Amino acid sequence: VAKWQGRCAKQRRIEANHAVKRNSTDKPTQNGFTSSTALRWILHRAVPPLIAAALFVGGWSAAVQFWQIPSYLVPSPSAVGERLIADRQLLITAWWLTGQAALSGLCMSLLMGTVVAVAFSQSAWLRYALYPYAIFLQTVPIVAIAPLLVMWLGYGRQGVIAVAFVLSVFPMIANVTAGMLAVPEPLRELFMLYGATRWQYLTKLQFPTAVPYLVTGLKTSSGLSVIGAIVGEFFVGYGDTGYGLGYLIRNAADSYQTANLFAAVVLSTLLGIAVFACISLLSEWAMRRFGG
Amino acid sequence: LSTVKTPLEPADDAGTTSVQLALNWYPDAQHGGFFAADELGIYAKRNLRVKILPGQPAVPVLQNVAMKRVEFGVANADQVLMARAQGMPVVAVFAAMQTSPRCIMVHRESGISSLRDLKDITLSLGAGKGFATFLEKGGYLSRVKVVPYTGSVAPFMVDKSFAQQAYVFSEPLVVRNEGADPVTLLVSELGFDPYTSCLITHEDTIRTRPELVRAMVQATQVGWTTYFKDAAKTHERILRENKQMDLASLNFGQEALRTLCLPPDTPHDTIGRMDATRWETLAKQLVELGLIDDASAWQSAFDLRFLAVDPQP
Repeated sequence: VAKWQGRCAKQRRIEANHAVKRNSTDKPTQNGFTSSTALRWILHRAVPPLIAAALFVGGWSAAVQFWQIPSYLVPSPSAVGERLIADRQLLITAWWLTGQAALSGLCMSLLMGTVVAVAFSQSAWLRYALYPYAIFLQTVPIVAIAPLLVMWLGYGRQGVIAVAFVLSVFPMIANVTAGMLAVPEPLRELFMLYGATRWQYLTKLQFPTAVPYLVTGLKTSSGLSVIGAIVGEFFVGYGDTGYGLGYLIRNAADSYQTANLFAAVVLSTLLGIAVFACISLLSEWAMRRFGG
Repeated sequence: LSTVKTPLEPADDAGTTSVQLALNWYPDAQHGGFFAADELGIYAKRNLRVKILPGQPAVPVLQNVAMKRVEFGVANADQVLMARAQGMPVVAVFAAMQTSPRCIMVHRESGISSLRDLKDITLSLGAGKGFATFLEKGGYLSRVKVVPYTGSVAPFMVDKSFAQQAYVFSEPLVVRNEGADPVTLLVSELGFDPYTSCLITHEDTIRTRPELVRAMVQATQVGWTTYFKDAAKTHERILRENKQMDLASLNFGQEALRTLCLPPDTPHDTIGRMDATRWETLAKQLVELGLIDDASAWQSAFDLRFLAVDPQP
């Protein structure tokens, strides 16, 4: 049994390390962070994407010029840049509003996903009864139900958060449930052998096992929560408290201002990246604390 | 759009020219004249085979005309000016509605009877639309909560303090049938009155195929005149094209459109006509509202040469 335990713990450590490494490819690990490695990191990790970005923007600009693409179809990068600078106040406020809604929806998904997954892991009957519907609900088109959510919840922030939540909760449920059930058989037997209580089994074995899965779920959900918030803003908005990115996107589309639309899309992308980065940092901490 | 055929297709063997007309909304009474011209063979008589493409919210009509994916489209005058400001070479050649049907629809229970006393309501408006910006910049919306418009009247039905944008001949009847008591407040009364349901086409089409544009415009004129005389067959056609529509709504729409298309207080010998000064006024308004940068090119946005004073079938 001791040998089993050792082997399984080692296996889990390896898996967790892999997960951490996978998730932190953009950042140097803490050990061995010297000036030469920093320089190497910049050369190997920061320079290539910058070159790619420069090539992309250059190609985009050249294509617009060469084929004389009208600005209502594809604006030039400089036109988008101009909008980003001229409307920065509006865009930053919108970014912040949409970001708040996305994070709120994501936090609710984390909570709800975990609670449901714990319930599913404790009762096979419950899991068999409801898990198929969780998967089924995942496929409901959000644009169809977003207007309904608005009607049920009323106009305002809560509607936007609700759409972000609905879109991001199912990956959480699916991943955490899978994680709770992924306990290695030898470890389960070990816990049984020592007469562990159900609570001990849950908190000391199932939950730590599920952490890497939860982290994966969160990363999937982080992007979905941003998309959800933007879709929510298509239908809800915030009334008098300001405009979110979704509102700005629709506004630009309705007035044929494609450069403004691109600017809002750039901000939406930056929001997705920011939320993902937050989750990555948080998950590294969580993996060290619980999952390692 | 991949199914759309090659634009500006030349006349086929029988001398018939096939063109596409993209609508700006679901088939409705506001497109009555276009459907009448097609259904009653008025287009065919001028050797036109017109394929009418139904619209929906956010359908890119102006873009499709600008890219020559379709030869003709239906759009409003303010949209034409805004699209031209973004580089789309689109031109209005016919204006169905002389008075804009655009209104704000409120519940009678709200006690609101004028756009000047809009307050304590949630108002759903299309973001970026000319009239919405006009109301906002004019200070009419300072005491209301503005939310996006989704194209549905459902939120209006569940909340007495809810108001929404509407066309006077359309949504008010829908909600009345559902049991609501709406009051409509016309935006045109405040001085923002763009020509509505204009027939638009591409500058190149006007330059290279003026006869096609003339045939299309004059047949459309006859279509609208005929629509107001007898709409029975046309309404049957619209009902086939739009399963959500019902005959009572269409009949109501037709009656309301008669005054919007042929206003009683002006000489209305020519349906579809446009007045240059109104285009100029509108362009200046859009500049004031910050929706376009420059009003100087307003004359290029419309073309009166194709309208017949007394169109003959």
